[in-house]
Amino acid sequence: MSVERIPLMAHLVAGYPDASGCRAAARGLVEGGATYLEVQIPFSDPSADGPTIRDACSSALEKGSSVKESLALVADLHATYPEIPVFVMTYASLVFAPGIVTFVDAAAKAGAAGLIVPDLPFDADEGLAQACVAASEKIPGAICSIPVAAPSMKPIRLAAMIALGRPYIYAALRAGITGAATEINADTKMFLSAVNKGGSKIFGGFGIRSGAQARAVAPYVHAVVAGSVFVETVSAVVLAQSPESKTASARSLQIRNEAIRRAVYKKAKEIIAG
Amino acid sequence: MPTSDKIMARRSDKGYFGPYGGRYVPEVLRSAIEEIEEAFFEEIADPSFNAELERIRSEFIGRPTPLLYASNASKLLGGADLYIKMEGLAHTGAHKINNAVGQALLAKRMGKRRIIAETGAGQHGVATAAACAKLGIECVVYMGAIDVDRQQPNVATMELFGAKVVPVYSGSKTLKDAINEAFRDWAESFSNTFYLIGSALGPSPYPDMVRVFQSVIGRETKAQLAERGVTPEVLVACVGGGSNAIGFFEPFLDDETPRLVGVEAGGIGQGKGEHASRMTGNGARTGIVHGYKSRFLLDDDGQVAETHSISAGLDYPGIGPELASLGRSGRIEFRRATDTEALEALTFLAKTEGVVFALESAHAASAALSLARSLQPEKAVVVNMSGRGDKDLFITAPLLRPKEWKDFLERELVAMNVSQGAKK
Ligand SMILES: Cc1ncc(COP(=O)(O)O)c(C=O)c1O
Repeated sequence: MSVERIPLMAHLVAGYPDASGCRAAARGLVEGGATYLEVQIPFSDPSADGPTIRDACSSALEKGSSVKESLALVADLHATYPEIPVFVMTYASLVFAPGIVTFVDAAAKAGAAGLIVPDLPFDADEGLAQACVAASEKIPGAICSIPVAAPSMKPIRLAAMIALGRPYIYAALRAGITGAATEINADTKMFLSAVNKGGSKIFGGFGIRSGAQARAVAPYVHAVVAGSVFVETVSAVVLAQSPESKTASARSLQIRNEAIRRAVYKKAKEIIAG
Repeated sequence: MPTSDKIMARRSDKGYFGPYGGRYVPEVLRSAIEEIEEAFFEEIADPSFNAELERIRSEFIGRPTPLLYASNASKLLGGADLYIKMEGLAHTGAHKINNAVGQALLAKRMGKRRIIAETGAGQHGVATAAACAKLGIECVVYMGAIDVDRQQPNVATMELFGAKVVPVYSGSKTLKDAINEAFRDWAESFSNTFYLIGSALGPSPYPDMVRVFQSVIGRETKAQLAERGVTPEVLVACVGGGSNAIGFFEPFLDDETPRLVGVEAGGIGQGKGEHASRMTGNGARTGIVHGYKSRFLLDDDGQVAETHSISAGLDYPGIGPELASLGRSGRIEFRRATDTEALEALTFLAKTEGVVFALESAHAASAALSLARSLQPEKAVVVNMSGRGDKDLFITAPLLRPKEWKDFLERELVAMNVSQGAKK
């Protein structure tokens, strides 16, 4: 099957491997056919992320990546690819520190289509959803808060999440952290059917690494999310650089970025083809 | 001993202590935490749980720990009487064992086969490893790679107890990163695994649980003081995450007296990364990290900041939510002691009382000494010696007698090489 391309939300870590490399990766993802982008703002303590994204986040932070720069990247991507909605994923600490409203306004201003903050539960979100509603009234192009559902949720809690009637729900396809491969089995499908009951559009991800997996999930979701696989693709290119090219002359940076773009493009195409 | 009803007289308000606390965890972990919450409140109301805990406390931990009248120190200070709650005499050398056996017993009764824990200095790791060995549960301890390097004696002890110690190379390679790694493990393993958090922090109900299991310190102290007819003027404890402090203070919290003083790590100064003072100074702010809301050392973006303390147990960038709330309400006064002040208090009490405080507890001692000095003779100051100082020999010896220690280590190294050569 799979003549139709699978809608993909492709994830990248802001500032990884650096500002220009990250933009090259985004370009590869868009040209490879991604429908949505998800930009993760790196946090010092990303406890829901596996080794790939965890290490990419610390690498970005070591290079001095800040929230301001991450949001500048979002604005940049939004301007460059106006047809691609850009979502922001990060942790509660970064959203809470400047004040929830300040953070949400800044994200909305940057053009973010939505916020995914896994450690701000929907029933204790510190006013995140409300701030999104308020911001989308001020700034056209609605920003929304996207709750994360997990298969281990009690049915009553999942029902409460669905009843929020949010535009989107992010469904984590298995217990655990980002990265490791996910088996798409009958339980996964049952979980996705349950999340689907409320009419929110579902982003389904966690451990999607191949076209085959994406194809298995696609019928149950609005878009398939893949993240670690792309971050890994970027890392592989960075690692493969010869030591002398790491001294980063403008020319060698250009070559590396082109390699990142191409590798990510290929991977995105592969997943989208199913 | 008090009944379990009394133990639970105090409880968070749906997980919150004033503005702090909560359960800010990804959905994937929520049902696992709810399962623990249910089991915990059920078990502590169950006489058979309490009987078993009581037996372990007396046979294994060695409770009650003594309350020492520091007669020589008191005389020299010339002020109030100083008493020392000798919590460091508990098995494995610190109060950490009180919480470790409590939660491990709970895990066992929940049918969990595996326990994971984080550790900084290694005291909580050692306590958990001992509890797991005693109760027959598999134990995995996450420990920052930097801490593994500088706390080898505790790593060796954990392994002796049969625990697997996993070095954590991510982030700052210290306690906070070990907590992240434990959460990562747990997100996948919760069906058979219990996460045994080592201080009065983390998502609700951990702060409630840890306080309940540590409050034995305060209950014993209250009884021991009453036996001697002593009415304390002030109680002093050091505050890392806050478990020894909340356990020591618990039975006094609802009363207007005594004064309760928590002592944080003043480190080497008040600059960024030089201390771990979350309640004193102006380096901290309200934040949400590791599943709870409290006072944290964060930068403007909300990234968790680096800290420093001579004591590995006090350099955590956050503080338990109940302590933060009690600090805000004023029931607990916070002070800080620097590395040097802690070391001075440690040597003073070793010489005068024949007692070696853990470096963490020595921060409390420093504040207790100055309080005792400033108060009238008929008053009493009680300090919790949360741990004994044996574990810190590799930190204190190089500072207190650098040359002799260096010579000793060099001789040991030579001797080890010789004996290994002979074996070959
Ligand atoms: C002896 C001792 N005291 C105090 C602490 C600080 O922890 P808490 O504030 O939870 O008592 C530690 C932590 O490792 C410790 O080992």
